[in-house]
Amino acid sequence: MAKAFGIVTSTPRRVNVYGLQDCRPAGAFSFLGRYRVIDFPISNLTNSGIENIQVYLNKFPRSLTDHLGTGRQYNINSKNGRLQLLYCNHNNHNEVYNTDVSDYLDNMDYLNLISQEYVVIQPCYMIFKQDFADVLEEHIQSGADISMLYHKVNNGRDHFLSCRVVTVDKDQRITSLSENRGNRASQSVFMDSYVMKKDLFIDLVKKARDYSSTFSLAQMITKECEEQNLNIRGIQHKGYFAAICDLQSYYDASTELLDMKVARSLFSDDWPIYTRTTDSCPTQVFEGANIYHSLVSDGCEIEGTVANSVIGRGVKIGKDAVVKNSIVLSYSEIGPGVHMEYQIVDKWAKVIKTKELIAKPDDPGYVKTADRL
Amino acid sequence: MKHSNMLAMILAGGRGSRLHELTSKVAKPAVSYGGKYRIVDFPLSNCANSGIDVVGVLTQYESVLLNSYVAAGSRWGLDTKDSGVFVLTPREKAESGLDVYRGTADAISQNIDFIDQYNPDYLLVLSGDHIYKMNYAKMLDAHLKAGADATIAVLPVPMKEASRFGIMNTDADGNIVEFEEKPAKPKSNLASMGIYIFSWKNLRKMLVADMKDPNSDHDFGKNIIPTMLNEGKKLIAYKFEGYWKDVGTIDSLWEANMDLLNKQNGLDLDDRSWRIYTEDVSALPAYIGPNADVDRIYITQGCELEGEVKSSVLFTNTVVAEGASVVDSVLMPGVKVEEGAVVTRALVASGVKIGKGAVVGSPDSENILLVSKNVKGVE
Repeated sequence: MAKAFGIVTSTPRRVNVYGLQDCRPAGAFSFLGRYRVIDFPISNLTNSGIENIQVYLNKFPRSLTDHLGTGRQYNINSKNGRLQLLYCNHNNHNEVYNTDVSDYLDNMDYLNLISQEYVVIQPCYMIFKQDFADVLEEHIQSGADISMLYHKVNNGRDHFLSCRVVTVDKDQRITSLSENRGNRASQSVFMDSYVMKKDLFIDLVKKARDYSSTFSLAQMITKECEEQNLNIRGIQHKGYFAAICDLQSYYDASTELLDMKVARSLFSDDWPIYTRTTDSCPTQVFEGANIYHSLVSDGCEIEGTVANSVIGRGVKIGKDAVVKNSIVLSYSEIGPGVHMEYQIVDKWAKVIKTKELIAKPDDPGYVKTADRL
Repeated sequence: MKHSNMLAMILAGGRGSRLHELTSKVAKPAVSYGGKYRIVDFPLSNCANSGIDVVGVLTQYESVLLNSYVAAGSRWGLDTKDSGVFVLTPREKAESGLDVYRGTADAISQNIDFIDQYNPDYLLVLSGDHIYKMNYAKMLDAHLKAGADATIAVLPVPMKEASRFGIMNTDADGNIVEFEEKPAKPKSNLASMGIYIFSWKNLRKMLVADMKDPNSDHDFGKNIIPTMLNEGKKLIAYKFEGYWKDVGTIDSLWEANMDLLNKQNGLDLDDRSWRIYTEDVSALPAYIGPNADVDRIYITQGCELEGEVKSSVLFTNTVVAEGASVVDSVLMPGVKVEEGAVVTRALVASGVKIGKGAVVGSPDSENILLVSKNVKGVE
């Protein structure tokens, strides 16, 4: 039996993905054709042997409720494990009240009931692979009060600007947690992931509440870092890491995984990424179609040309259509002769009458859910 | 859902020896088909979609894989409180010792105790080796409307091929008046699909009697159906129209896969109102590399294509390396075709590796080549 339970947080306010976020939280974003972003943190937990998982649902809970269901698809034993969907009160009048701490306070009774000694917290909008059994072991061995995951990047000046960064001393102690102001290229990006004792976690949540109703857990821990009351340690993550904070980072994360060498660092046989099956049939590629350097999900019918793109389930691409450097989400249709480049086409959209949609790599276009063009 | 009053039994005992090495380790119903399916997914999904809750799968040949495969009834949604998929192999009984199934009817007779647990009004008997989509609930409606004792699904076949099938001769109202197994001079073109609905009480009595008959072959076609006709029972033919394929040989299995390359293939696996359910595999979507050359193919998750792939059906986790060529072929799950290898008019069995530069199959072969063992590369 695992010593820890897992938490996957709701979408923090700093995440703002144009269009995609209009009707769903970040965890429900379709990713790489057949996944949703939340499949990655949940698979991390179940692959690490953690089967008691709480998922916090704030605004727009429908798509995640649908997708997660009982959690059976994540290989969770339905008797001694549990995927718990916890609803939170969203404050529509003033967004400043919508913090992870308020989500936890809304569900404090269910946190108190947990019997595991430790908690593993992960965000719903970051994509990475991490064995938390190892992290937990290191956390216990080190005697730290809190262990936090970070990832070293060298493009911090113009990327990860919605993330927090940490400074780590030579003993792996975290000496500061602050906003990434883009002042340096080399940064240690905080992965919004923590391991600590459940009791300490609950104490910190209550402390944050008493300090300010708008305080998040990260802000509380920033304060703890400054006051140096706790032993807070950093654990460096290695491998693929992406934070989906805006439309550009969503586009970049999707397209950089078209490089199979990169993809293999995230997907491996011993670390399956589980998701919900939709029982789609395989994909039909017809005579005259061309496909290059692309990922194509099941259930598609392809008659045109697809290059450097990610194609979701059940997408139809008509004759002589050209889909280049684009991401087409499930069940959309690209009509005959349509030419598109650098587009993100949301679910159920039909691009038929507009014959040309061309944007730029550093500013991809977005076609709304179920839109008709 | 509340219990359906019809229970299904799938006859999956066949070894499928004409599929050669494909069935040396697995029973025929567990053979892969159509990129991501196994043959048994079709009758099981048909059952689930027809509102049948309890399905027995009767097998005696190499049942380990089939057993573990169908035991995960959740794949077909057959895992509610009142539903399930059960593999029924011959077992030792107190009064009779261990008997293998002596025939199709005997396979049912030996499991009367299983069926009695559910006490169904109707029993649906299916064969586990055909590819088709069919609503058995509609067939039951026809059975009830006619007040029949047995209803047999029939498929109109070309008259010149009728002598290869079990043929039902019917009157103008669809009542079966005669059954002829592979007649030299067929009087009708209605071939039995091996799909029967029986009113259970009556069939149960007949099976008990048949078990004791030393001269019986204990077979539905040879014994039970003729006896019912002799006794003047009401048997009706239920005409099926649609895609139906017996994949009994390598050529017909290859052909049934190739059918999927046509836009109007009749099977329409994309029909969201009648989905065929199968194993859920954790694999990336199909990846097509920068130098790949693909045309007219059927692909699924886990495929990694870097070479030339034309007019072929590729199953889960197949890899075609750069410089390799796969044409008019079927690659079953996990097949790897290495650099420079050429595969033409072949059916490559699960997990087989075609080494660098190897050449298998030929464009003008009469029959499809079955490749069931790794092929060494050419240095």
